[in-house]
Amino acid sequence: MTNRASATTESFDVREYARTAQGSHRGEIDVETLARTGLPCDAVRLIRVLRDLERGTLDRMRNLLVTATHKDARVTAFLATWAFEKYWIADALDAVLDAVGADTSPLTGPPRRTAAERAERRGPIRRALAGNIAGADIVAGHMTTGLVDELITQAAYRRLGDAAAVLSSLVSTLVAVKDRHIAFLAEEAEHKLAASARAVRLARKEIARAAWPIGAASIPAADRSFFEAYVFGQPGGRAAAARIGEGLAALPGMGAASGATVVARLVP
Amino acid sequence: MAFDIDRYTTNSAAVAWADLDFDVFDEHPLPESTLRTLRYMCDIEYHTTCYLRDLLTTPSHNEPEVGAFMTMWNREEFWHGEALAAVLAKHGVTVDYDVLKATRLKLGWKDRLDPVKQSIMGGLVGNDFVAVHMAWGAANEWSANAAYLRMAELEGNPVLAELLKRIAKQETRHVAFYASQARDRLKDSKKAQKLARFALSRFWGPVGSGVQDEAEVTHVMNHLFAGPEGRKLVRDVDSHIAKLPGLAGLTIVEDSLEKRGIAA
Repeated sequence: MTNRASATTESFDVREYARTAQGSHRGEIDVETLARTGLPCDAVRLIRVLRDLERGTLDRMRNLLVTATHKDARVTAFLATWAFEKYWIADALDAVLDAVGADTSPLTGPPRRTAAERAERRGPIRRALAGNIAGADIVAGHMTTGLVDELITQAAYRRLGDAAAVLSSLVSTLVAVKDRHIAFLAEEAEHKLAASARAVRLARKEIARAAWPIGAASIPAADRSFFEAYVFGQPGGRAAAARIGEGLAALPGMGAASGATVVARLVP
Repeated sequence: MAFDIDRYTTNSAAVAWADLDFDVFDEHPLPESTLRTLRYMCDIEYHTTCYLRDLLTTPSHNEPEVGAFMTMWNREEFWHGEALAAVLAKHGVTVDYDVLKATRLKLGWKDRLDPVKQSIMGGLVGNDFVAVHMAWGAANEWSANAAYLRMAELEGNPVLAELLKRIAKQETRHVAFYASQARDRLKDSKKAQKLARFALSRFWGPVGSGVQDEAEVTHVMNHLFAGPEGRKLVRDVDSHIAKLPGLAGLTIVEDSLEKRGIAA
């Protein structure tokens, strides 16, 4: 959680972030080498999951904007750039899949069927109504779940880099893109949680019912189990999950229980 | 003509102004009434997020092409806000994120219920409602484009004019997207045409009305579109809208001038 530490000492400059947004990564993808060497099956599957998650950004955006989060102009300024960067991450992953001749269509299959997962899939009307009752304090919960989500996907990109050396340059770029998302969300979560006990309660509730990563509720059950096992199933992955849990636990008011909830959902 | 989404996303960029010499405003500051209009435009660009939110509650964004456009468009409009804020800053007018937040908070319950209303409408009439959104978006972008070009011409300041032309050029691409979407969706559905005609004629207002004070809306309309030249531009916008399938005869922009007593 080094990013979080640096973010607290210096305020995140949203304008600077927006100015230096990362667009297309296609120039960084060595299509010829990829086509020659190919990728391990597991790496391809992980890329497809990550691509679908990044593509789901507008759904996430909608769920945030139908609540009071849309009123926070600093947050919406961040979101405009964040969505742009995620668009181009998905594009890069598509380009990699294309290069190795893999199936680029979205993953399909039955989702997980539990009550908690159904709640995750609820539509904008229920979210808007619930979000409006919660009011401005809901923003802290969104920043907190957003932070955990970015930390999880960043761990997944690192895993991808370990599994496929040919992608190491692209992966380090994507990890750096995520670093900035993490820095902003960590700072916002910290400020907003510290400011209100009610925000803490709402954030804990969000954490308690979240499916990870955000958007996972629309990913087929089999691919989610694969994701959890592949990214967090090895000793290195378990250590990464533990660090995510500790980082969350250290946020104002969140505590060890919230951290443990996240870790328990990540590690198979 | 079909809209080339790959070309649009690849070329989508933040509007540039670093090469423009904003120091000319030190010697030749813009008049108060112009700053007031610019401030309005700046706020509207920043508030694009609120409009995006309404679009996202309908089924439209599930189509990859629409989702891609919305992502780029939202960011381009944010940068228009930043560019105009930079001009205002040279005149000692600060537009910070906290002030924008205050404007959005002021909207209160109406704003809170909008996503619910939009979702219900979107759910009930489904894809036909997307056509309404696209026609509405086209009307907004056409009028924004006209407003920027008119402002560039009226003010006669070469630096401001260049910036506004760059912004208007991006708005032209937004127009192309919305209009082609609206055309395709309207031509296939009589129900969508009826719905769009009803929604636009009953509820459409100049971009920013409903968010900004009515006095500000009237100031901007007067500043940009009063007199015969302004009226001609507005009629041009109306004629574009009227060419969309099922919208013949609509004069929504001119009506909005009449309603506010702006002289032709």
